[in-house]
Amino acid sequence: MSKIEAIALAVEEGKSKIIAGLVEEALSEGISAGEILNNGMIKAMGVVGEKFKNNEIFVPEMLIAARAMKKGVEVLQPHLSASGVEPLGKVIIGTVVGDLHDIGKNLVAMMIEGAGFEVTDLGVDVPPEKFVEAIKDNPDVKIVALSSLLTTTMPALKETIDAIEKAGLREGIKIMVGGAPVSQEHADSIGADGYAPDAASAADLAKSLAI
Amino acid sequence: MERIPFDIDKEMQIIGEFKSMLPRAPGLPKLNTPITPKENYKLLFEGKRPLWMPSAFDSITLIPRIIPDNIARGFVIDADPLDLKDAGGKDFFGIEWVYVEKVGGSMVQPGNPKVPDITRWEEYIEFPDLDQYDWEGSAARHREFLSPDRMTILWVMNGLFERLISFMDFENAALAIVDDDEKDSVHRLFDALCDFYDKLFEKYMTYYDADIILFHDDWGSQRAPFFSLSTCREMLVPYLSRLVESCHKRGMYLDFHCCGKNEILVPAMIEAGVDAWTPQEMNDRHMIIEKYGDKLNIGVRMVIPMEATEDEVVDIVESFVKEYGGYGNVIGGAFAFGGNQTVIRDTLYSLTRQAYNV
Repeated sequence: MSKIEAIALAVEEGKSKIIAGLVEEALSEGISAGEILNNGMIKAMGVVGEKFKNNEIFVPEMLIAARAMKKGVEVLQPHLSASGVEPLGKVIIGTVVGDLHDIGKNLVAMMIEGAGFEVTDLGVDVPPEKFVEAIKDNPDVKIVALSSLLTTTMPALKETIDAIEKAGLREGIKIMVGGAPVSQEHADSIGADGYAPDAASAADLAKSLAI
Repeated sequence: MERIPFDIDKEMQIIGEFKSMLPRAPGLPKLNTPITPKENYKLLFEGKRPLWMPSAFDSITLIPRIIPDNIARGFVIDADPLDLKDAGGKDFFGIEWVYVEKVGGSMVQPGNPKVPDITRWEEYIEFPDLDQYDWEGSAARHREFLSPDRMTILWVMNGLFERLISFMDFENAALAIVDDDEKDSVHRLFDALCDFYDKLFEKYMTYYDADIILFHDDWGSQRAPFFSLSTCREMLVPYLSRLVESCHKRGMYLDFHCCGKNEILVPAMIEAGVDAWTPQEMNDRHMIIEKYGDKLNIGVRMVIPMEATEDEVVDIVESFVKEYGGYGNVIGGAFAFGGNQTVIRDTLYSLTRQAYNV
């Protein structure tokens, strides 16, 4: 098994205790930070996402894989910066105002991060103006991801999109939405650019929107 | 049990009333049934064929305000009703819940878990002394509503995994049940929770003559379970099994409330020995009944809209009986937002009394 394969397997299986050592070994063998990230860890998270979508694994296994990846990235980070490897883009994520649910949003943030994005998590119960402010603070943001678990807070998805539009920030930004009561039809009706039914699909969607 | 022919004129006679505990709700006329609704319900739990489909109308649900969890979660059915402006607050373990009025339920504000490290949960969690509550006062308040002729159902909110989530936040809890460094601590916590619930069940039996514990533990989201069957078997089944035993040794039954698309976890419920489960609509209920109905009683709820007329109610119940009345092991329930409760019950009774009498 190659070092990259070993790193990928360690991420898939959530071996957070050995991942740092494997990454260090790979670096010392001259494997580039970009290759370790892309062909080792991000690829592994893609496999994890697929298995999650197919109900072959569940939330704990996905979390444990993400934790392992995070440990690996900690070792890798200085080398990524030094070699000029950039994230796929910036994503701002949050649960809309009135909604305190964070589970789905956190899983999406984790999978998007695992796909190679830099994620800013605004938390839960986020008012539209806070999203607007965050976009202004991060003019290079590519995607805004909005979560709503409640039918009663679904209108806040549109209100947030409208606020972004009204602030003149909509152009150049893709907006994706998700949450239990949300559907593709609803996403279309409120002017979102995409909808994903689960965390792994959200990571795929983010990649496609960022192109 | 011997089949007793359905004598509609005799059995539909009203011989009394089951009092309702819901404010302003009328009582439910008591029918002249050949055996009591409780006896009929018990037939199902004992693996025998009931005379009619046991249903929510054959029981009274008590969610007493004496239990801090119930006020914290905003679910109280008590002779002294809860004003929902008082919902929320601290549960049994001092966890703060926020009641969200437009949702009609509570949640723990995430981000500041009471137990930041499960391996040291004993430093953060103090089990309440159940003897400090005024059980006698609560029992006295409810005595007039409880009847030996119908099942008395007591709720237990928060269960095992849900309790762990309330202590740790969801992600930490989900990790803890698969992380080799944390699993022993989770076992220790669940073990202690089983002891606690055993004492709680004893109170419920002593003071309310509880027949059924509706034990809440949500295991899934709308698309899938939170965890695998093997994780469930390892981390939850041994404890759920103990809780079932805690009920059975007192002559009570454990009805499992478990939200989520949890079809693949049904074997775990059966292994734990739970007496019933009411799958939410996103589960394939016919498949579950056909595949597991001989080992687990399945609850199915009708949805009766608020504005339903009497004729519409009858149509809904008839469709329900047509769909589920043939199985013989279903517990009927109703999201009875509307409709005349007596009409629903009478229609369900008479139709299934006929259908079951074969």
